[in-house]
Amino acid sequence: MATTAVRTEHLTKRYGAVDALKDLNLEIAKGEVVGYLGPNGAGKTTTVRLLLGLARPTAGRAQIFGLDCQRQPVAVHERLAYVPGEASLWPSLTGAETLHLLGRVHGGVDTAYRDDLIMRFDLDPSMKVRAYSRGNRQKILVIAALMSRADLLVLDEPTSGLDPLMEQEFRGCIDEARERGQTVLLSSHILSEVEALCDRVAILREGVLVEMGTMVELRHLSALSVEATFDGPVPDISGIEGVSAVETIGRVVRCQVRGTIEPLLRVLATSGVNQLISREPSLEELFLEHYGRPTAPDEPTAPNEEVAKVG
Amino acid sequence: MADLAASGPVPPVRSAGPVSASTVAASTFAASTVVARLTAKKAARSGALWGYFFGVCVASSALTYLSSYKTAAAREKLAANFGANTAVAALFGPAHELQTVAGFTAFKVLGFLSIVGAVWGLLAATRLLRGEEDAGRWELVLCGQTTRRGAAAQALLGLGSGLVALFIVTALVTVLTGRLSKVHFGIGGSVFFALALVCSAAVFLAVGALTSQLAATRRQAAAYAAYVLGACYALRMVADSGIGLDGLRWATPLGWVELLQPLTAPDWVPLLPSAVLVAALALGTVQLAGPRDVGTSTFPDHPTAPGRTRLLNGPAGLAGRLMRPSVAAWAVALAATALIFGRIAKPAGAAISGSSIGTVLSRLGAHGVGVRAYLGVAFLIMAIMLGFVAANQVTAARGEEASGRLEHLLVLPLSRWSWLRGRVLEAVTVLVVGGLGVGAFTWLGAASGHAGLPFATLVNAGLNIVPPALFVLGTGIFVSGTWPRATSVAVYGVISWSVLVTVIGGFADNSHWLLDTSLFHQMAAAPASAPNWASGGIMVAIGAVAAIVGGFTFQHRDLVGE
Repeated sequence: MATTAVRTEHLTKRYGAVDALKDLNLEIAKGEVVGYLGPNGAGKTTTVRLLLGLARPTAGRAQIFGLDCQRQPVAVHERLAYVPGEASLWPSLTGAETLHLLGRVHGGVDTAYRDDLIMRFDLDPSMKVRAYSRGNRQKILVIAALMSRADLLVLDEPTSGLDPLMEQEFRGCIDEARERGQTVLLSSHILSEVEALCDRVAILREGVLVEMGTMVELRHLSALSVEATFDGPVPDISGIEGVSAVETIGRVVRCQVRGTIEPLLRVLATSGVNQLISREPSLEELFLEHYGRPTAPDEPTAPNEEVAKVG
Repeated sequence: MADLAASGPVPPVRSAGPVSASTVAASTFAASTVVARLTAKKAARSGALWGYFFGVCVASSALTYLSSYKTAAAREKLAANFGANTAVAALFGPAHELQTVAGFTAFKVLGFLSIVGAVWGLLAATRLLRGEEDAGRWELVLCGQTTRRGAAAQALLGLGSGLVALFIVTALVTVLTGRLSKVHFGIGGSVFFALALVCSAAVFLAVGALTSQLAATRRQAAAYAAYVLGACYALRMVADSGIGLDGLRWATPLGWVELLQPLTAPDWVPLLPSAVLVAALALGTVQLAGPRDVGTSTFPDHPTAPGRTRLLNGPAGLAGRLMRPSVAAWAVALAATALIFGRIAKPAGAAISGSSIGTVLSRLGAHGVGVRAYLGVAFLIMAIMLGFVAANQVTAARGEEASGRLEHLLVLPLSRWSWLRGRVLEAVTVLVVGGLGVGAFTWLGAASGHAGLPFATLVNAGLNIVPPALFVLGTGIFVSGTWPRATSVAVYGVISWSVLVTVIGGFADNSHWLLDTSLFHQMAAAPASAPNWASGGIMVAIGAVAAIVGGFTFQHRDLVGE
């Protein structure tokens, strides 16, 4: 029995002269919850569409539970459920009719669980789709995907339009899915959501997978944020090995440290440091490190070479 | 934030210098007329394109007449046959001065292009008003320097630009055609003719604008406007059928167009009701846009409904449910048309009997005399309508893909073949039942008018109009699978071309090669002649092969949005 839920080998998609996805090699084990990150146009949705068989790869192949996504789409779809970020549903159908239709075509729906989800997501199923708000339309798709209890959930910006309470409910549902052994591929821009839910994170940039690992692994590769407050004069720490991005505000110094923190600690110990805070980078900081910080108009952008080295 | 970071450095901000009052005024003007300009841009492009088509129709009709009716005797004969023929008038509109190129051209294109213009108008208005609202873009423009009423008024202005473009291009080509020595329409006559040709477009632009305020969706708005057009056409047909109800022409915008009598006996008076109606509808549109919430309808639209899941067990059932309103509308239109044609078949057939009009009708494929010849042409018109039903089925299926809704089904355990098969089966059922229904309702009308035609003959004639529709369906699926974004243009293009060639072929000796490119020329004109099942079978076979190839390419391509 295959232990791999998703596998792509050299998966490539080109639209004319544009490389939407380049040589993607990705492996997701059964039962894993994997976050899929990248800025707009990085190739996340292209990957999802290739996995779902909605688009044809230019090269390479994708498999889900050992089944070829292009050659055996029906068999693949029996084992997955998908939530797109944009809910363009049939405006004349009601929520209940839409869920009935999607459930009947998918098959194997636990109607009791569906009704439970309708309650949890506070959805009025008697309303016509055209009368729903964007968030409520999104709820229909989320419920439709979850009610199938599919082995793999492919979620592309699933919480776009949901309010914070519903987002919380969604996180609860994904936790339950993980407990049931379902595999989840979560493409999202809500980094706190990915950080809270995912076992591993894959980061995509310009169609290329630049990083993949657990949060611990990614943090290990990244810099530590250090903030030191001094009683007296602030020492110059810019030349210390591994220290970068030094920022001094009054008697407070902030910097990033790569590798061992020991050389910095040695200097700080002899400089009258009053308070020392060190913090591992959040997923947002890791993400921004891969894509460069937002810049002020007169501040130069992070050089690409540095980003490339990290990847 | 990450998006900003990924997008690269922010371009430098220009230094803020003193801003002149004229710059501010220009900027304010630009911001407050953005809806008008955006609408005008889209409407004018479409108007100019259709204006070219209108002009080509005028030119080709005039030139065809010159080449086909070279002698005065031939022209007099044509005029004698058609001049007072009520059956022909009911089908194509009244014919005046057919012994002149001007009279023939007006007769040939006025009725046909009035319908085309009306359809263009209602589709353009509902697309650029209700369609924009459905897509959510209306909310964006309403956040600018305008009000709901102001935006509606601007959109009407923009649509007016489209109408002006349609008129200018039509007038230009008509004037150029009219300057040919043997045509000689005169500049004033040509311009008035162009005005008459776009008159129905103006009215139905306004009708579409109003229904855009009344309905909850663009599709619904277009359907309401189409019902109005159907009613106007039926009234026009009754008025022209020679049963003493000529006054009804004043009750329908299509009748007003006829009463203008361009190129023969121009009369400006019937322009007045058109202008008044357009103004009233435009005013109504602006008034209704004010109190209505954006995205809602003026007619009560129930936001909730009891679940009706009987059909919603698969893609075919879904297609049935989604297409129900438009199929019902077409069914009513076909049934009403068939009943009317059947009802007036006997007097119309009597008018044909004994005249040499049969020669011309035979060019339309209606070999025969009397009632049968008349119904042969009537079934041709209903074949065109059934072709539009097929086109509607194909574009609706493509619409599911373009809107992204198809993805929700194709990520379920449902193959593309299964989805397509469901849609095709549904469409084929609609077309076959439609054809049989046309036959049955024509018989009903004919029986009530004591036309004395057997049920089986008319049902066979109804079945006979199905193959061209199936051909349209098959080629539509082929284009949808291969060049999805060209689907709409392709299916409506095939029908329009076939209609044009058939109508021109009916009044002139044209090359068989040209005539053979028309679907309707391939169809026997039953009941005037026996159905040609072999020819029908070939059309069905070509359609089937095209559909299979289209299905195969659809299977192997990316899904494509709008």
